[in-house]
Amino acid sequence: MRRIVITGMGAICALGHNATDIWQAMTEGRSGIGPIGHFDTSSLRTPPIAAEIHDFEPRAYIDEARLPFLDPLSQYALVAANEAVRQSGLAFRNERASRTAVVVGVGSAGEETREGLYQKLYGEHAGRFHPLGIVRIMSNAPASQISMAHGITGPTFVVASACASSNHAIAQAALMIRAGLVDNAIVGGTEACITLGIFRAWEAMRVLAPDACRPFSINRRGLVLGEGSAMFVLETLESAQARGATILAELAGVGMSADAGDIAAPSDIGAAAAMTAALQDAGMQPGEFDYINAHGTGTAANDCTETRAIHSVFGEHARRLAISSTKPMHGHALGAGGALELVATLGALRTGIVPPTLNYLGPDPACDLDYVPHEARAMPVRAALSNSFAFGGLNAVVAVRQAP
Amino acid sequence: MSNVQQDVFEIIAKQAKIDIATIKTESTLKDLGVASLDAIEVIFDIEEHFNINLPNEDTDFDAGTVGHLIEAVERQLAQKSGNS
Repeated sequence: MRRIVITGMGAICALGHNATDIWQAMTEGRSGIGPIGHFDTSSLRTPPIAAEIHDFEPRAYIDEARLPFLDPLSQYALVAANEAVRQSGLAFRNERASRTAVVVGVGSAGEETREGLYQKLYGEHAGRFHPLGIVRIMSNAPASQISMAHGITGPTFVVASACASSNHAIAQAALMIRAGLVDNAIVGGTEACITLGIFRAWEAMRVLAPDACRPFSINRRGLVLGEGSAMFVLETLESAQARGATILAELAGVGMSADAGDIAAPSDIGAAAAMTAALQDAGMQPGEFDYINAHGTGTAANDCTETRAIHSVFGEHARRLAISSTKPMHGHALGAGGALELVATLGALRTGIVPPTLNYLGPDPACDLDYVPHEARAMPVRAALSNSFAFGGLNAVVAVRQAP
Repeated sequence: MSNVQQDVFEIIAKQAKIDIATIKTESTLKDLGVASLDAIEVIFDIEEHFNINLPNEDTDFDAGTVGHLIEAVERQLAQKSGNS
């Protein structure tokens, strides 16, 4: 089987506009969550907080002529993809262009553009729509824009599985590389979901935290939304070694499952099935793992369910694992969540620093593992899992290990 | 039985598809088999029916009882009439 490695990483979120700054913030335990500035919050019931991207000047990253075509959804994706490609040192010329895939996880779509048009239609009864609405809104736009920006002509598409979209995208690309369909891929996720309409819809589900995101903590009361993108360059180990590329980590395995149960309530059986599948795919034993970047949303239901699932997969080794949720720092970025969390997971592997779970008030008896509260921890990390469990009961887990 | 109680019982019975006679003020929504999104929908139906907003603190589906829910509705209704 072809081994797959990660040779490029890029990201943008509330913690910074590149992967280096974001990882630095994660090791310092900084939170990007704060008051919402993207829209008028006067109609909200919930305190208006989110992990928004601030001081972002797209012209500094993207050709001005291209910008009218781009919802923030695609802008973020391009910023992250460009950084990842630059780090990898790859150029997609000649045969490499058609031997490269672009697979991007997206939970929603170009919501800022969509809501702007609907405001005109239903609110102002305006007669004229901007002609670029469709190309900005369509959920496949980020994948298309990356392929256009880099001249990539291989399989290019978007994967949607709500909060598991990024990890499902990574899995699809990995399987295409293993199958010999392509040799490289740009993968990750993007989301620009801090809009009034999306926020109100989440608020109505009563899952937004009134104060802070406190994963695995006693008195946790919900999630806080975030936005951003992270992208990675995948290639075969053979190719990376042949061209002397810096290998960030090996993508050891992927696991996917569906709960086939409730449309919203999580299932420990489904979550455990995805983790077990990732371990099996990687050909690894529970004892080889040191860290799990948890889905850890901070909702009452997710965190105890995920804890039960980790117990069932890892047995006695569960208590020796460092487990953290980085969502109190970058927010719950839905379709981009798994990708931003892979930045944290690769950081832990590469530097031996496990990012912390912020806002932890104390143990919940139903969450009885080591969640690395408050402060980052220096410890060797040989291999790690990154969990994503979506509404709709769709689960996807990525296993990574130290570069060979 | 107060009108508020009667209305809340009817909303729960309809959503949970259970006989209204089985609902007690000391039951939790969980006891009545109303879980997850169904419970959120019950709260939404109550809010729409009375035209009030129930804060998250008043909607503990595991420990909060139907009686607590009725008290919360009455509190919001009293506040509304006080404001008008």
